Amino acid sequence: MMYPFWDVTTGYGILMACIAIVHVFISHFAIGGGLYLVVTEQMARRHNDEPTLAFLQKLAKFFVLVTLVAGVLTGVGIWFIIGLLNPLATEALIHNYVWGWATEWTFFVGEIAAALIYYYGWNKMAAKAHIIVGWIYFIFAWLSLVIINGILTFMLTPGKWLATGNFWDGFFNPTYWPGVIMRTGVCVMLAGLYALLVASRQAAGEFKARIVRYSVTWGLFGLALTTVVQRWYLSAILATLTTKVLPGPILALRSAAWLAIVIGGLLMLAWMLARRLPVIVAALLMLSGLAWFGSFESFRESVRKPYVITGYIYGNGVEVAKTDKYKKEGYLAQITYRTGDDGADLFRHACRSCHTLDGYRPLKPAFDGTDQKFIASIVRGAHLLNANMPPFFGTAAEADQIAAYIYKRIDQRPLDQIYPAADLGRQAFTIRCAKCHKPGTAHDKSKSFTGQSTDDLNGMLDNLPELAEGMPAYTGNATERAALVAYLQSLGKVAK
Amino acid sequence: MNLPNYEFLSAPIQLVTVLHLLTLSLHFLAMNLLLGGVIIVLIAGLRKQWDDPTLVKFVKLFPVAMAATITLGIAPLLFLQLVYHRQVYAAAIVSGWFWLLVPAVAVVVYYALYRTSLKGERTGKLSVPALLLALAGLLYISLTYSSVFSMAEQPKLIHDLYAQDQSGWVWNPATGDYLLRWLHMILGAIAVGGYWIGAIGKDSPVAFQTGKRFYMVGVALAAVAGSAYLMTVPGLMHTRAIWGLVVGIILTLGSLHLFFKKKFCLSGVLLLGSMLMMVYARHMVRLLRLADTYRPDSMRFAPQWGPFALFLVCFVVALAVVAYMVRLLTAKRA
Repeated sequence: MMYPFWDVTTGYGILMACIAIVHVFISHFAIGGGLYLVVTEQMARRHNDEPTLAFLQKLAKFFVLVTLVAGVLTGVGIWFIIGLLNPLATEALIHNYVWGWATEWTFFVGEIAAALIYYYGWNKMAAKAHIIVGWIYFIFAWLSLVIINGILTFMLTPGKWLATGNFWDGFFNPTYWPGVIMRTGVCVMLAGLYALLVASRQAAGEFKARIVRYSVTWGLFGLALTTVVQRWYLSAILATLTTKVLPGPILALRSAAWLAIVIGGLLMLAWMLARRLPVIVAALLMLSGLAWFGSFESFRESVRKPYVITGYIYGNGVEVAKTDKYKKEGYLAQITYRTGDDGADLFRHACRSCHTLDGYRPLKPAFDGTDQKFIASIVRGAHLLNANMPPFFGTAAEADQIAAYIYKRIDQRPLDQIYPAADLGRQAFTIRCAKCHKPGTAHDKSKSFTGQSTDDLNGMLDNLPELAEGMPAYTGNATERAALVAYLQSLGKVAK
Repeated sequence: MNLPNYEFLSAPIQLVTVLHLLTLSLHFLAMNLLLGGVIIVLIAGLRKQWDDPTLVKFVKLFPVAMAATITLGIAPLLFLQLVYHRQVYAAAIVSGWFWLLVPAVAVVVYYALYRTSLKGERTGKLSVPALLLALAGLLYISLTYSSVFSMAEQPKLIHDLYAQDQSGWVWNPATGDYLLRWLHMILGAIAVGGYWIGAIGKDSPVAFQTGKRFYMVGVALAAVAGSAYLMTVPGLMHTRAIWGLVVGIILTLGSLHLFFKKKFCLSGVLLLGSMLMMVYARHMVRLLRLADTYRPDSMRFAPQWGPFALFLVCFVVALAVVAYMVRLLTAKRA
């Protein structure tokens, strides 16, 4: 709240994902690819294997163009985007870990210099010197992973740091070691995948078969290492989580598991088609790898919710340490950059990091046809919703201001005028009840409606705030109420 | 709740400032080689002043200069938060889209430089369209930086602009505040580009003469633009910035003198020194303008000497290893 808020129509999550996923996909290759190049070059030079050396020179050119340009600049892009999207968390990370970042930068300097010398020195340097530079490159690149992993895993599982504030406690946190090993496995896998893309462009024949099978081995080894260590990584996360794991991260994890099977299958296919591996298979492997990384990073980001730094800063930039202050003084008193529209300012700082009105994770359809009182109840009880939402620590008046801001921008007609009668009950349930009581989830109440009469359910709707903390009062009109009651009865019959 | 407080400095502010200014100067040195070099090569190419092979030789250096510019630019970007606290980040958010376009434009510039470099290697010819594209991108990036950093010095302007528009499509309208400074930077880049062209092309009389001319003219014009800009900064004479400027000017003249005598290494050292002084003067001007709202030494100091020592050791080792690799690269040539 000490920074202006960048109010973009695009969702923050999408912006972050676009840059971050491309970056990690390239940066992990930048490490594994370096190892692939130097190990393979060493073997090729030992056996005077000219075709392999020619292939490696091509791969090195592709490697430099991809990693030094797109890899480095998407990395810089991450710096830019996190400063725009969550400047406070960025500030906290820099103040706590400036020497970690700075150390990583020294490795980065060495890595870039080595990459350039390795590429430009291919035909100029003595073989032994060239291989030394290749190893230096890989060591620097891997060391930068060793450092960055400490800060990334700190954000997910800060461990003892929350109590001690000690640099090393946060760095060597509960997911540090599984994170390092798992990401190393990913680097090796991606080295194989990228090499296959270059190999697929070779003329069909014996050499192509050899280099394809060799690269498939890298891919499979990396995939196996990643898969094995991922279990350790996940158990370390689950052991430290203080919030419930929601369907979103689980779905992302399942997608990653299925995509790992797809990658394994495609690698086997590449092995079988080694002599004539078509570019399309190699491209599919790359796409699967990218999708796998997308799913994994999506899991890592979403399992951390509602925090951006677990237990320390919420995703909307609200600081856990200042909750008492927020409750006492309200949010507005903490917002440094004001626009003159308090409702808009509150909406931005409390909700807008994750929700737009009608784009990414939209609120408009979630509140169309409701009223200000209902919206205010939902804002106040945000932490009770069927999602890991940051709690609202502002004052009741501020919740009303946010509700007024949203209400002005939604469809204010009653629900029975927005939706056809046949669908009204289901829509009313979705908007008013399913935010917490979605069928099939932990707070599914369908069974409790079994055998309830219309009067019973009307009585329940009249007394909702007394049923549980944070339940909003029912504020719909008579037509909507009748349709909702009928729908609740139908849910009860299904659950029976 | 008793959680760690992130509002602290893990090293003395003076130390962080020195690191910031030093890495920023190194970034400028590489950036000026790139920007100034591209301008000079383009002018020379368009006027058919040199033969293509000489131009191609310089163009081959540009991707490496770009890599150095980016790599050396990361460290000052990191220390920025500690030296100027929230100012630059706040200004960047107000101009969010323009700011975010910087790395995207840099990707285009980088590929354009590789394209012209690889084409030069293959055909021995210069790719003027690719160089023009790279120049346009570099000018955009430099102007965006000038706009955002100038806005960062004016907290009230940030508040006013944000109150009017929160979309991130806000360009700093106070152009009078930074256009002269931006021009000074471009002319300075041409001067430094001239130094590099002369130093690298010392064996070619045409290249050396061209470098010399651009170095001299660039310095003279940058001095005019810089002086004009400084006249717009009230209170400058009462700060240490003025001493930084004086020393910087002396070092520049010394560098020019040594350049004429073809003592390029010493000339380069003085040039780096003068750049460091200019960067220091700029830093002091920024603090002067922020004096009412921000004092860098006001933050709590909670040292992290262990991690700092790790950084220092790694920094020295990395530099030594880079020097070793350069030796390996040049050993074959010898």
